[in-house]
Amino acid sequence: MLAELINPYHFQVASFILINIILGISVYITLSTGQLSLANAGFMGIGAYTSALLTIHFDLPIVLGIIAGALVAALLGILIGIPTLRLQGVYLAIVTLGFGEVIRVVFINWESLTKGSVGISGIPHIGREILRVLKGFGFDPKVIGLQNNQFIFLSIFLLLFIITIGVIWFFRRQHRSRVGRAFAAIKLDEKAAESMGINITYYKVLAFAQGALLSGFAGALYAHVLAYISPADFAYHRAVEILIFVVFGGSEVIWGPIFGAFFLTLMPEVLRFISEYRYMIYGLIIIILMAVRPQGLIDVNLLNWVKTKGKKRGQKHGTGNTKSM
Amino acid sequence: MLIEQLINGITLGSIYAIVALGFTLVFGVLGIINMAHGEIFMFGAFIGVIVTTSLQLPLWLGFLAAILITAIMGYMLERFALRPLRSKQGVSHLAPLISTIGVSILLENLSHHLFGAGNHPFRASFAEINFQIGSITIYLVQIVIFVISVILMMGLSFWLGKTKAGKALRATAENLETASLLGVDTKRMITMTVIIASAMGGIAGILVGMAFNSVTPQMGLSMGLKGLAIIILGGMGNVKGAMAGGLILGLAETFIVVYGDSGYRDAIAFLAIIVILLIRPQGLFGQKIST
Repeated sequence: MLAELINPYHFQVASFILINIILGISVYITLSTGQLSLANAGFMGIGAYTSALLTIHFDLPIVLGIIAGALVAALLGILIGIPTLRLQGVYLAIVTLGFGEVIRVVFINWESLTKGSVGISGIPHIGREILRVLKGFGFDPKVIGLQNNQFIFLSIFLLLFIITIGVIWFFRRQHRSRVGRAFAAIKLDEKAAESMGINITYYKVLAFAQGALLSGFAGALYAHVLAYISPADFAYHRAVEILIFVVFGGSEVIWGPIFGAFFLTLMPEVLRFISEYRYMIYGLIIIILMAVRPQGLIDVNLLNWVKTKGKKRGQKHGTGNTKSM
Repeated sequence: MLIEQLINGITLGSIYAIVALGFTLVFGVLGIINMAHGEIFMFGAFIGVIVTTSLQLPLWLGFLAAILITAIMGYMLERFALRPLRSKQGVSHLAPLISTIGVSILLENLSHHLFGAGNHPFRASFAEINFQIGSITIYLVQIVIFVISVILMMGLSFWLGKTKAGKALRATAENLETASLLGVDTKRMITMTVIIASAMGGIAGILVGMAFNSVTPQMGLSMGLKGLAIIILGGMGNVKGAMAGGLILGLAETFIVVYGDSGYRDAIAFLAIIVILLIRPQGLFGQKIST
């Protein structure tokens, strides 16, 4: 019964949607202080390469590899962030763009370590690892009626799902905390925020480092889900793709990047014929959205509207669940 | 050897300078980083290839066609991607940047579909002509590139400094509202700036095609990124800074290929801006601004 429902391909797509959601949130976090970072693809690459190399060469457990990848990315984020975040937003966008390019060039040229533009294959696979560990405890996927292959993809999906929920939960909490309010104040008016006693450099670097950490984390997950990475995966196009998740979905609320990543990852899979023109459509989407709805599809007003609508309906039909989020 | 490399570096640098001028003009007047400039530059190069190689027409027609088409693209860019944002209230300063990124993505992939992803050779009829001075070989192409670049730079400096339109443009760059009050048609000036910048990008595209004998859809991106690096290096919105920055980068890249590791050539520009932002954030030639 369960076996018929599970198509590895669908779960693969679902896993990529979840990774893209994490990436989208990483840009959203930096943007929530009004800073545009285009280095997230680079940080993603750092995370992916760090984790892949550590697990291949030092036989580190995948969990530690992923954590190390995220931390290295965050560290680099702080190093890049401190000098550049003192400048205006446009500078940061350019420097981060340039940083991403430098990372890519280094990946291509440091052949002894990264195998150049060929990329690294044979990276330990999360799903197989989970299966191996569970088998060590005497578990067999056949017990719940699944092939090994199906179980692997199912386990990856469930793991990523839990992680993504955790990430969303954390950043929603943070948004309502002192830190989140500081971010919002800086986004609205840096000078006013500074005069209110907010240490804007600290909070900007914090947001930038969080973005770097999160994209490094997503990159490491990506490496262990796909088991193959190459410098082309983390180039300018990836940076723009991540940016589009946020621009399309909405950069004001966390649901924006989530919706953007979900919709834009699914669209080319469902509409196969679009896939060839995908980037052209992306370009058009950006231009039109910036002219018509620069805050993205989902914004605070829309959420409030949905909330009140949900409330009204709740009273009418008497279903108690008014908390739609 | 050294002098030959110097000449190569100056040729490359003068092309970079023209690309960077396009960026710096738009930034000076509008305060916008035009991320689509590299792709307009790439289209200029492709128009050059089509006119001279596919249609077998003379080179000057190639220049004319490239200028015309990139100018039209500049107008469209201003009309559809920038103007709608300007009239809106309360739009984030990042919106035009993101919007031009959209244009660049669209153009890059459009060129994939129009021209194919491969490498297009650019055959100038005089590509092989060279002179021997002592032990030094100089190609005619290099001289042509250099002369065109110098003419363009001098023309632009003259136009900005001495003509009425140039003064109006500088006034607009200084302060849009004041210029508007003083009777400058700022809307027209802005459109004109974007058109001129794009046409310069188109010319630079043909020059690059001639210099490297190859045109690909990806060249727009790498050149655009370098142009950005140069205007940070020279100081944002600074015309002289863009020229000097272009030459510096061209020489630096040429020399690292000769004396260092050629693989890292494309990274120099960005390492340079990261360093420059640490030491002298206003750029080599920029004025210190207090924010």
